[in-house]
Amino acid sequence: MSDTLDRMTCESAFRRLDDFLDRQLSPEETRLVEEHLRICAACTLEFNFEASVLAGVRRKLRAIAAPPDLLARISAQLRGAADTHDHDAHDDDAHDHGPK
Amino acid sequence: MQTSVAASFESLFVPLTNSAFGVAIRFTGNRSDAEDLVQEATLLAFRAFDSFEPGTNFKAWFFRILTNCYYSKRRREKSRPVTTDLDDTPDLYLYARSAETGFPTAGPDPAAQLFDKLGTERVVAAIERLPEEYRVVSTLYFMEDFSYQEISRVLECPVGTVRSRLHRGRKMLQKALWHVAQEHGLIAGTAEAIE
Repeated sequence: MSDTLDRMTCESAFRRLDDFLDRQLSPEETRLVEEHLRICAACTLEFNFEASVLAGVRRKLRAIAAPPDLLARISAQLRGAADTHDHDAHDDDAHDHGPK
Repeated sequence: MQTSVAASFESLFVPLTNSAFGVAIRFTGNRSDAEDLVQEATLLAFRAFDSFEPGTNFKAWFFRILTNCYYSKRRREKSRPVTTDLDDTPDLYLYARSAETGFPTAGPDPAAQLFDKLGTERVVAAIERLPEEYRVVSTLYFMEDFSYQEISRVLECPVGTVRSRLHRGRKMLQKALWHVAQEHGLIAGTAEAIE
């Protein structure tokens, strides 16, 4: 941390690290954290590193695509479900309109 | 159900296909189960499409069904073992370990070198080590950029629960990443030696 006088501010900023990175703080709290980061090199290093870790995880986890045939299989499945439903509805209609 | 309804459902679902599969594979841990999960969830969502209110958040609605579907399948299966003790991970775990072992801790993207070494599969392996409630919330967060509020709607739990699981899950993930890196010889030393 930058120095002893700033210690409480560092602790206070650190408690807000996750919410700050996720933009969950109020505008006023965000401003206070940003203000602190401008004057505290140690906290800036820590915040930047945490942001970089989050970005790294996000980058790696998103590097995947669905199998090309998955959507085709799902579409066929949905058509089958819609047909079954339509067929059942027709049966119900026929039953409703049949001789009583 | 009318064909136009099916078309309407598909028009909303198709843009989510990759996201749904990506989340499903992080939930289940393998491609085959992920495909089954997406197909099952899609069918369930289609059958429940009457209950979706047009103009509201289809993505959150669909992922709630996907997540519930996953939990339902999981209850029928054995729990996956958690191989790393992730409790009580200190703050800034990766930052401290990186500094100790000479990985960069400064610069525009200081953790990039560590993640380049880890590669996608090892990051996936690390997230799979998280206990389920932390893995699910972290997956939704990292994969989809859902806000805390959206995740709380998907999981049907309070925002405060999302926040605490997410914050704790991140700490656990940092430790899991480091352990995976060590187990694959990417970093010298043992986990015990540096804790």
